[in-house]
Amino acid sequence: MLRRAVLQTFRQGLAQSFFKRNAVSLSETTVTHQPIETSDEADEKSVSKQKPGDESGNTVVVAPPEFRFMYPEFLPDPAMERRNRLKEKLERIDMLQRRSVVEIPEFYTGSVMAVTVADANSPNKFARFVGICIQRGGSGLRAWFILRNVVDKQGVEILYEMYCPLIQKIEVLRLERRLDESLLYLRDALPEYSTFPLDMEPERRLNNSVVPINPLKVKLRPRPWLERWERQNLQGVEDLNLPQRFYDKAEKVAKPWEKYDLMLQYRKTIPAEEQEKIFADVHSQLQQQEFKRKIRRRRGTD
Amino acid sequence: MLSIVFHKRRRLVRRLFFNHEQVRTMSRVKRRTTHPPYWHVLKNNQRQDEKISSDNLRFVREVIQDKYKNKSPIKGSDLDIEKKEWDPKTKRSGVIARNIGVQHMWEKDGKKVVCTVLHVLDNHVIRYVPPEEYAKSIIGAKVFRNRKPLGCLVVGAEAANPDRFTRQYCSLFSEVGLLPKKRLARFIVTPNAVLPPCTPLTAGHFVIGQAVDVYGKTIDYGFQGVVKRWGFKGGPASHGATKFHRRGGTIGTGRDKARVWPGQKMPGHMGSERRFCRGLKIVRINMKYNVIYVKGTVPGPTNSIVQIFDTLLPRRKFTEAPPHPTYFPPEDGTLPQEDIWDSSLHVFGSPSISV
Repeated sequence: MLRRAVLQTFRQGLAQSFFKRNAVSLSETTVTHQPIETSDEADEKSVSKQKPGDESGNTVVVAPPEFRFMYPEFLPDPAMERRNRLKEKLERIDMLQRRSVVEIPEFYTGSVMAVTVADANSPNKFARFVGICIQRGGSGLRAWFILRNVVDKQGVEILYEMYCPLIQKIEVLRLERRLDESLLYLRDALPEYSTFPLDMEPERRLNNSVVPINPLKVKLRPRPWLERWERQNLQGVEDLNLPQRFYDKAEKVAKPWEKYDLMLQYRKTIPAEEQEKIFADVHSQLQQQEFKRKIRRRRGTD
Repeated sequence: MLSIVFHKRRRLVRRLFFNHEQVRTMSRVKRRTTHPPYWHVLKNNQRQDEKISSDNLRFVREVIQDKYKNKSPIKGSDLDIEKKEWDPKTKRSGVIARNIGVQHMWEKDGKKVVCTVLHVLDNHVIRYVPPEEYAKSIIGAKVFRNRKPLGCLVVGAEAANPDRFTRQYCSLFSEVGLLPKKRLARFIVTPNAVLPPCTPLTAGHFVIGQAVDVYGKTIDYGFQGVVKRWGFKGGPASHGATKFHRRGGTIGTGRDKARVWPGQKMPGHMGSERRFCRGLKIVRINMKYNVIYVKGTVPGPTNSIVQIFDTLLPRRKFTEAPPHPTYFPPEDGTLPQEDIWDSSLHVFGSPSISV
């Protein structure tokens, strides 16, 4: 009974948070950017949900449903042939151990970040790179993200492995999301969209509960391009202004039935019950780590 | 870690002299069977849909539990056979484990290392076959044809419900008082490394930094063409090639012998073969979960069963005595260290590496 109730609220919370956070990406026609702040959103973000006690009187701690978007690397690779619960558990323990040493903040594709890495070939032995996150992937200790910037008119992309011990610090200078999950089209866009000053200061957010979605539409350079962007249904790109034959070919090649394919979605995701278990396990540890970091910051040792 | 995204090129090793004799002798050998050898006892029960009531089912379970009550764990001091000294020529028992996946770890200089995670299942020694008896068996006679015979330890892993096995199979274990195991294996041991039946084998049997050999059955690819199976280049994708993109091409000269040589590389079944990965280094042992992390990869897909034993590569063998004949938890009740790391690896809880 309790499990069903917990599952229902988890799923509802998931749907609610998804709709509130991704209000812009769902509507294709109008682009409205409204950071909706409601009291329960603010509560959900800061405090973990405490379910009413069961018969024995123990409280069941459930992680907030946003964890699925904030920490996607804790979810394993959904391919069933290669899954093993014990190995995932051990990997999670190692990930949390590493997170206790280095703060890996919440970030999304489209956030501007700065990463400091130990480098034997640099003058100070540390190399710092600032860039926009154009893609993130991998699960477990293999999780990675790519940062892009334009330095001296040369586009540079660096792939960082999140749990590599050479990484000294990861800072999020601007936390925001874009209209697409992958910003690889920035490679074919005008360079000003990928340029960020290397001495950029971290920006303070006015509204801490909702991650803003930047509705920026990027202008691409004239063709040739690295990929066929007209076939990828991109939201964050201005009108491509291509001859009609490109769009006709794109329609021929398109797979419009995939959005109705439930089994495809099922195979690509971890079921809600498992996600709940994983994040409940991880949530308490992450909270403790954040608490310790806050104390250290207040004392001024950082 | 810092990598501009590019793909590794595989270097093709070209064989200058092709040894036809070796290929011909091995081409007649049957490499795969779907049935066990004829001297094995029938293992799995023909499941009949027996309609028993839930009360009777509960009773059957109670009987099973009574019959296979847990024996008290074997201590090192209880060994019947007198403890013999370890010497460099000793062969210890091996262990049955499951390959549960691959994890990335980092060394102290920041270099990434791909490690395979092996979960040592609940291994128990079933029985010991002395050298004289083993040399008379079919396999033993082949192995020790021109050598001094050694003994053989039968080890089982993964206890299961006796209902699913036949009576003859369960009798192999009931003499020892163990629940029947899903998987059995034989390890060749010298007489001074013998273990009594019912001895548990755990991850502590191995030492950090030692080299092990892992035996497994490779991934089954099924019937595969010549390009994937043998690495042929096939034909051009365009430029007018008619129906010749992934085919083999010529299979003989027409002059030499005027026929196709046995062992000619052609499409066929690929994979599901016995292979050994030799000399893999153990970099981490987790005593709580009975898990070993081994540097490198291991034959077989994820969640397949493998056998691990001390390496036979001469330069990587033991110089000091390992837990001989196997590891026993300390008798004064102190728990062993839960997570043991090799000195070359970076421990995750320790501060970031600064070069």
